[in-house]
Amino acid sequence: MSMTATQAPKTTAKSSRVLRSIGFVAMPLLVVIWSLVDLTLGKELVEWIPYLASGFSMNILITICAVTLGTTAGVLLGLMQLAPYWFVRLPAQIYVQIFRNAPALVLIFATTYIFPFEIVVAGNYLPFPDWVKAVIGLAILSSAYIAEITRGAVLSIPTTQWEATKGLGFSRLQALRYVILPQCVRRSLPPWMNVASSMAMGTSLASLVGVHELMHAATDASTAVRRLDFTIIAYVVVMAAFFTLCYPIARLTRRLEQRFNAG
Amino acid sequence: MQDMNLTGLFIDMMGRLGLNYEFLATGYEAQIWRDGFITTLYLVAVTIPVSLIVGLIFAACLTSGRLWLSAPVRAFVELTRNTPTLVQLMFSFLVLNTVVSNMLGGAQNNPLSPFFWVVAVVGLHVAALHAEAIRGGIEAVPSSMIEAARGMGFSQFEILRYVQIPLAFRSSLPAIVNGLISLVKSTTVGNAIAVSEITYASIMVWTQRDNVVEMMIVLLAFFSLINFVVARIGQWVERRLAIPGYGL
Repeated sequence: MSMTATQAPKTTAKSSRVLRSIGFVAMPLLVVIWSLVDLTLGKELVEWIPYLASGFSMNILITICAVTLGTTAGVLLGLMQLAPYWFVRLPAQIYVQIFRNAPALVLIFATTYIFPFEIVVAGNYLPFPDWVKAVIGLAILSSAYIAEITRGAVLSIPTTQWEATKGLGFSRLQALRYVILPQCVRRSLPPWMNVASSMAMGTSLASLVGVHELMHAATDASTAVRRLDFTIIAYVVVMAAFFTLCYPIARLTRRLEQRFNAG
Repeated sequence: MQDMNLTGLFIDMMGRLGLNYEFLATGYEAQIWRDGFITTLYLVAVTIPVSLIVGLIFAACLTSGRLWLSAPVRAFVELTRNTPTLVQLMFSFLVLNTVVSNMLGGAQNNPLSPFFWVVAVVGLHVAALHAEAIRGGIEAVPSSMIEAARGMGFSQFEILRYVQIPLAFRSSLPAIVNGLISLVKSTTVGNAIAVSEITYASIMVWTQRDNVVEMMIVLLAFFSLINFVVARIGQWVERRLAIPGYGL
């Protein structure tokens, strides 16, 4: 009886350890082996790799910009939701409720088609590229998620701490700045990383509005080469690229969660 | 006749607010748009059971303790969770669908529609999310309870069926509802392969009418409404299933 009870976690631990090491390299390995087995395919792939890489750099750029923008706006909105005045609280709550429920694709379409393709600044026509619009679309979505994370983290701090800071003569904003928020950073780090990773995956949606990113590059490449095996390998490369970007984040998130739960 | 008047009144009132909903008065575009709503609701209604059933099977495999069952499922779950749904959909539609067509001798013999691929890809993607949630719930079932069940002569499968899953389902319900909300949102990727769901239908309308803002208001309201309903049903199920004293 006790044998089976102790065996079960051991095998899952072993399987996860094996998978963890295979997980990172499995798809790149598949791509490399396949390219070596069929050298004509490998040659095509090597020719297209720089093009795909230029696409993927766009994904990373969009992710970084959207998460930065979204975090800044999201933290502000989250704190606004907790404000004592209804005229501050209510707009933030409505914003979060609407955009948290919106599909990423709808927001990307909205920003792409609503914003003009160029803006006039002091008489100069500046282009307003599509990727910036995609950044704004994803930033709106992530700001709504991050606002909820921030609100939850602030509420999770015991109220006695607020009372203690009051006793020490802190103002409400000072208490927030020096006592509450530093603790929130730790608590909200794992969910924040989840948002960051889902934003990274959301960048592929920008291909549908014509942003030159990895997905778009892979579609271009497969229509140019017109070989089924090349199409397969191109999409495996796309998946491998997103996987190597997001899987380490997911693993780190899980490890942080475990550590925070234990501590 | 009464219906026409109401539509006319709505268009007129919205026109005064500066919002252009004139396409509602035309037969064709309004029809596409209404069909878009129905397609999205149908897509959601079909995909939710698929995701729940597959998620349950995945969770059972993950916690079975048998490596040949848990390792492939774990690999699939990690792959699905860490790659974009759109990429999975395009891969399935462009690669798997072509392979199926070739095997059956031509695209005309292929019974799999884009709709099927959206259900399959989104359903499996969300099933991976459910699996992780239910797995967490199964592992949270106290071991003393499982030992008691084993002592009463339950087999491994019976323990899963009558002890672990009923308790795990209750504790993982909030996470499952979150998964279902992301399912509702994910169905919009169908528009990449021309499934005429609401986003696709809205694009059809606004390319003709140039009324993006108006369509966006309806889209955001529509998705807020579906997700509100899904969340409410989730709360209702949670309350119905709550076991007094079990603390869930």
